[in-house]
Amino acid sequence: MAAAITLVRSPLAAVTACRPVLVPPLGWLALQALALWPHGRWIAQRLRDGSDDPLGLAALAVLAVLVLRLAPRLRLQPVLPWLGASIGFTLAATAALVSLPPLVAALLAALAMACALAAWLPADVPRTPLAGLLVLALPLVASLQFYAGFPLRAVTAQLSAWGLQAVGIDAARSGASMTVSGQLVIVDAPCSGVQMAWLAYFCACAVAAIGGARDGRFLTRLPGVGLLVLAGNVVRNTVLVALEARPQGLAPWAHEAIGLAALAAVCAAVVALMKAPRRAARLPEIAR
Amino acid sequence: MRRASQDPDPSSTSTPWLFDESARPRTRLGRVLWVIAMALAAALLLVAWLPVEAADTSAQPAEGPYFHVKSDDPSIDALPLKGTTVEVRIAGVIADVTVTQHYRNEGQRPIEARYVFPGSTKSAVHAMQVRLGERVITAQIREKQKARLEFETAKREGKTAALLEQERPNVFSMNVANILPGDDVQVELHYTELIAPDEGRYGFVFPTVVGPRYHRPSTAGGSSTFPATAHLPQGVASNTAFDLRLELAAPLPVSEVRSPSHAIEVSGEGTQRVQVELKREGMRDNRDFILDYRLAGEQTATGLMLHRDPDGGENFFVALVEPPKAIAPAQINPRDYIFVVDVSGSMHGYPLDTAKTLLRHLIGGLRPTDTFNVMLFAGSNRVLHETSVPATQVNIERAIATIDREGGGGGTELVPALRRVAALPKAADVSRTVIVVTDGYVTVENEVFRLIRRNLGEANVFAFGIGSSVNRHLIEGIARAGQGEPFVVTKPDQAAAQAERLRRMIEAPVLTQLRARFEGLDIYDVIPQQLPDVLGGRPVVIRGKWRDHGGAAPQGRLVLEGRTASGDYQAVVEAPVSDESAVALKHLWARERIAQLSDEEALVGGESQREPITALGLQYGLLTQYTSFIAVDERVRADQPAVAVNQPLPLPQGVSNLAVGAEVPSTPEPAAWLAILVVLGFVAAASLRRPARGALWWPPRRAA
Repeated sequence: MAAAITLVRSPLAAVTACRPVLVPPLGWLALQALALWPHGRWIAQRLRDGSDDPLGLAALAVLAVLVLRLAPRLRLQPVLPWLGASIGFTLAATAALVSLPPLVAALLAALAMACALAAWLPADVPRTPLAGLLVLALPLVASLQFYAGFPLRAVTAQLSAWGLQAVGIDAARSGASMTVSGQLVIVDAPCSGVQMAWLAYFCACAVAAIGGARDGRFLTRLPGVGLLVLAGNVVRNTVLVALEARPQGLAPWAHEAIGLAALAAVCAAVVALMKAPRRAARLPEIAR
Repeated sequence: MRRASQDPDPSSTSTPWLFDESARPRTRLGRVLWVIAMALAAALLLVAWLPVEAADTSAQPAEGPYFHVKSDDPSIDALPLKGTTVEVRIAGVIADVTVTQHYRNEGQRPIEARYVFPGSTKSAVHAMQVRLGERVITAQIREKQKARLEFETAKREGKTAALLEQERPNVFSMNVANILPGDDVQVELHYTELIAPDEGRYGFVFPTVVGPRYHRPSTAGGSSTFPATAHLPQGVASNTAFDLRLELAAPLPVSEVRSPSHAIEVSGEGTQRVQVELKREGMRDNRDFILDYRLAGEQTATGLMLHRDPDGGENFFVALVEPPKAIAPAQINPRDYIFVVDVSGSMHGYPLDTAKTLLRHLIGGLRPTDTFNVMLFAGSNRVLHETSVPATQVNIERAIATIDREGGGGGTELVPALRRVAALPKAADVSRTVIVVTDGYVTVENEVFRLIRRNLGEANVFAFGIGSSVNRHLIEGIARAGQGEPFVVTKPDQAAAQAERLRRMIEAPVLTQLRARFEGLDIYDVIPQQLPDVLGGRPVVIRGKWRDHGGAAPQGRLVLEGRTASGDYQAVVEAPVSDESAVALKHLWARERIAQLSDEEALVGGESQREPITALGLQYGLLTQYTSFIAVDERVRADQPAVAVNQPLPLPQGVSNLAVGAEVPSTPEPAAWLAILVVLGFVAAASLRRPARGALWWPPRRAA
């Protein structure tokens, strides 16, 4: 087994180059996750008691597959500034357990984990999509629904009303409800588009991570995902409201199909937005 | 294929992979299969983590009406009430009614049947019997809590038991516990009521169904209690057979026998004995049965009736005095009219169409010197104008157009609406008339009566019940509290006549300053103690007791004095020979006394009259809000707990699903598990794409 300390040229370098060869990078990440166990326990509890949708599991699963896939390429020595940031966020997350809401504390913990991961990632691997997946792994949907649900519903209802008026249908908004051709249609919490937003951002993070989009490119295109979600949800809501307001209503399967089609369209647009430029052809040269 | 050929050669990779490079799918088919496997794994993961559903046991019991959901357990008979038969015998002005409810358990488990059913607002329920096979169990009257305790004990012990409770003066609930598989249980109720003529026509009403009452749960600020009622959707018939037979014995030949509600067969019309039966056509138990008739020569069977107790107990009397014909006054003072219109969900459709027709007649018939305002209420309320406006043609047309636009929907918050009416400004020199138009499907009757008595004392309040199965307790109570008159309009074609009737009443009260004097009769406990003004064609009704001082038939007479538009009025009614068989007068007096005490209780709130009402109920054997009928079989029959079954009620004719709270369409997003599969599909497709530099999926090939 190799020595615990490698040869170095200066005392400072000796400290910074301290390489724990007995513990591989994945082990260090596992230890970091272990340090944040109170937050993990809270997340698990939220999922178990049904107070939030278990969508975060999908983000965790994709993240786990990506990290495992990447394991052989992880650095032998961590990047110290990222490691320092990770320690800072870990301390903040621990302190937040006392005074801040659990979700905020868990968010700090997710950032701590993201920094730890960034410390071990190779230089050419984007960090922000992975951090995004970590944030999306939190039980966010119920809280988003609570704080952002009504504004989203009101905006969606208003834009839908305008859309229907534009094609000559009698539509009006009242709060988060709509009256279409005399028929009341409510735009309630499940119609807000929060689920679509989560799925679209998940799709963006996963596609950007898999495709190798640069951090800057990813971050600058992220607001576009929000606009795509809003547009997709308005189109979905408008079509459904127009069909639901008919005397015969709309069959449940048609309702699902329209919702899935709108989601697929948004995801296709997100993939197009997030995909990295094709440079694979150059890889052989680089490799050579 | 081209892409596959350009993939890095796994054999050239020297990186130690957690996933062996050779395990990577090499062909497109392999990748597709791999993606499908991943998607299935994700789906399984999601299904395993679906949100936990709350257990039924922790759910709060329903507090309002709800739609009946058919059980999928074939061992439970979810519809145990197989039929209701009604036998009515009307002798003069007194109706004796026997209602037989027929329960049969066609399932395999013992059940407890719960059935909420309506009754006449004037009914005095005085007896109940349970027939269980060959045996007959006579129910006893008990204090309500005690009866409930006995019932629960009998139920626990496995005995068949029946409990009849009063929820409202016109709504009762029947619980029959431990109906064993194959059992045939018949519960008979007996009640009596006074049939008073109105403008020469007699009317008998038998309600068949309780409309879905808008009820605010106690957890949401509501204070009243009302049993949760299960309803069948609009247009769905109940499985319960309904039949009604009526016999009429009158002192004069009976004519013009008709029913505006049901198809009937009449025999003996034109004689003193008439039989009426229902025709077997369509649904018959989703609306009030209404029967009208006249006596020959436009006469009415009014006068004084005496009952002498052969055992020397209390003696009772009832006096009905026909008012004189109304005379139109020479001068009519202008009035201020406030129309309070129910546009809630239960009024949606036919009832609201009927109300609109009525309002067109009511508002359209105002004089230009009158002023008016319109309040529309459902879950909230709004007035057309901040203050009343003159009844000009423009204002009338605008009001009618606004009402015509209403479609009906939402709750029925009647109390806040009336509170706002009380706060509307009014000119000091103008009399106000408030006209409430509703189906009465609320549970806050007492709060409404109290509000009217306390806050609308200066106004006359008239109530129009709209629909086929109106809550007459509310309509009659509003009119009584507001010194007005009740009206019931079941169809649009009755609207014009009823509007005209109201106009006549308001313009020309028939009798005012009424006083009754008994000469030669020692009377006491007279109801009412102060006679109200007579507005329409209903007779003056006085009930009471008289003391028998021995000797032959009591000698005496009733003198009724008052004022009409043309001057003083006096009517004299001689006392007839007392009748020992007219026991019904006892029940009718006690029923009226209980109603009077209930009115006083409603005014004060709480249960201030609990003791006297309970005492009256027990003394005269009457069902009241504080006394119940209980019948218990002494045999222990069931060896396993009974399953509670709520007998569903059909929706009243013309009432839509919105009365219960029909589902409002919305636009929810697709199911989470389907949505995540779609997104994972896109992610998987992206993973198959040629990678960029730095991509995580396909690691860069190392130099050889």
